[in-house]
Amino acid sequence: MTKTFAGTAFVGVVTLALPLALSLSQLTIYILLGLAAMVTIGLSLLMGYAGQVSLGQASFYAIGGYAAALISVHGGPSLLGLLAAPVLAAAVALVVGVPILRLRGHQLAFATLALQLILLSVLSDASWAGGAIGLQGIPHLSVAGFELDQDLDYAYLTWAGVALTMVVAHNVVASRSGRGLRALATSETAAAASGVPVGRYRLLVFALSAGFAGLAGGIYAFYLGYLAPGSFPVLLSVQYVVMAVVGGLGTIWGGLLGAAAITLLVQLLTDLGTRPGMPSYAPSVLSYAVYATLLVLVVLFLPRGLAPALRGGWRWRRPDRAARTEPPDAPAPSLAGPSAAANEAA
Amino acid sequence: MSAFLQYLITGLGVGCGYALVGSGLVVIYRVTRVVNFAQGAFAVVAAMAVSTLLGAGLPHGLAEAFAVALAGLVGLLVGLVAIGKPGTSPQAALIVTLGIGIFAYAIEILIWGDQPRSFAGLPGSFTLLGARVQSHYLLIIAASVLVFLAMAVLFARTDVGRALTAAAANPYAARVVGINVTRMGLLSFALGGALGGLAGVLTTPVQQVTFDSDVVLVVSGFAAAILGNLTRPAFTLLGGLLLGVAQALVAGYLSTSYQTEVALLLMLTVMIVQAARRPTIQEEPA
Repeated sequence: MTKTFAGTAFVGVVTLALPLALSLSQLTIYILLGLAAMVTIGLSLLMGYAGQVSLGQASFYAIGGYAAALISVHGGPSLLGLLAAPVLAAAVALVVGVPILRLRGHQLAFATLALQLILLSVLSDASWAGGAIGLQGIPHLSVAGFELDQDLDYAYLTWAGVALTMVVAHNVVASRSGRGLRALATSETAAAASGVPVGRYRLLVFALSAGFAGLAGGIYAFYLGYLAPGSFPVLLSVQYVVMAVVGGLGTIWGGLLGAAAITLLVQLLTDLGTRPGMPSYAPSVLSYAVYATLLVLVVLFLPRGLAPALRGGWRWRRPDRAARTEPPDAPAPSLAGPSAAANEAA
Repeated sequence: MSAFLQYLITGLGVGCGYALVGSGLVVIYRVTRVVNFAQGAFAVVAAMAVSTLLGAGLPHGLAEAFAVALAGLVGLLVGLVAIGKPGTSPQAALIVTLGIGIFAYAIEILIWGDQPRSFAGLPGSFTLLGARVQSHYLLIIAASVLVFLAMAVLFARTDVGRALTAAAANPYAARVVGINVTRMGLLSFALGGALGGLAGVLTTPVQQVTFDSDVVLVVSGFAAAILGNLTRPAFTLLGGLLLGVAQALVAGYLSTSYQTEVALLLMLTVMIVQAARRPTIQEEPA
């Protein structure tokens, strides 16, 4: 336990000191990485614990961003905008979640994708949200007279956001409802039979993940200063799924690890692709090809993701043994699920 | 009246395209229980291939046939990755096909660039009761009717079709009577690829295609197929036609900007109604 605490403190201190050593363009990556991590941690909980695939997580990011932007563009206090971002995103998730979460598996995947397409279509037609051009001139966030107008300020704001997300996620997982969720991830029927309010818990995780995404969207709006429907493509939602799966579903550190790995990888490929002599399409082709390949390989050969594999001391070569030596209270949600075992037994 | 007829025929044509994409999803889902997210990519690849082949001087008909065959081959490859590894659960395969769809972007941009593409279809137009309609829409409708009839015959009357159905109904029993379930799954992926390719080839002359059109295509196809619970081709055709006509009417009488919302809301409603009729607690596989 103390070892885990020391590790957490170490990561915290290093990431806290890191922005001071980064150049301006590296700070941008640091901030975007942190924002992606906030969304991914929520999605990882949703996919790992509630067993639901969401292909529309970027829509909550967009709702948060637009909520913060609209409030501050119309002269409201920007701190209120930042607070409204997660609240509104979670509220929307609660409302749409009631009908949508009756769906399972691929149906929910398509339903969340449909919601995002509807949101994008509505936003690009809405004159109050700036239409397809979007909102420009969003003022900087200011708290009690102090205006956050440097990239460094936003780096620390993002760090705080990620820390908050991780603490909240950790507390939810460790609480009574977290145990209920873990039961739900293994067998919904058994969980319901043992008195776990399955529907309510699933809605809770959905709203929580939306709230995380909304908060990240709010910070994003203040940091960049402009928003458009084009900033939130379906591909962004897919990218969060890639990050969550690569990092390891149902693990908080996995969300952070996946977001960091994919963001840095895409950045590396973009740098490579924009070298002189490379064709103009090289950056997008490279990043599509590489993170798609990574997603497929991880799902097929490392279904529990990077974080559990790393923690298990590379025991992932022998998944059976790794699963057996896992402490009994650790969640083992994975995409392969119980049916994979059944297939192998047959 | 003439305007209504025009919207109706246009809608039927577009709806047939949705139904074809949806039928590919159905063929794959029936046999493997995998919802193939890369279904839209088959249509895009076939459409892009036709534009290249026509540019290379191949006559109409031959170019389209090659492109559909290519889409079938791509389908087979996707199937190999998605279900080739034993023990891949359908949910994992969904994520895998999602990854393959993104991978297809890279290949499509590399070969064909990121600009929209289109090619000429059946030329000319005709007048029916005062409504002017492009002849190509009739070609789409005729071809789709033929394909759906052929599919009905395949599944009900041929040995291969029965083997495909058996593999879906009870994989274990199918294996006992000597049906290679994995091979049937791969066959269904190839078939699904060809159907997706056909959809792309038929609809591209009236609706140009870019590398990322696949999301809209697969969502529309899924919306059509969900009416038949992803297993019944006849309901998929009905769903596609309903969707196409509803979209065309909304676009014609209200505004083109509500088109997407109509299709998506229809799909959400159907799914939620279906879910409400299912028992909440279901038997889980052991």
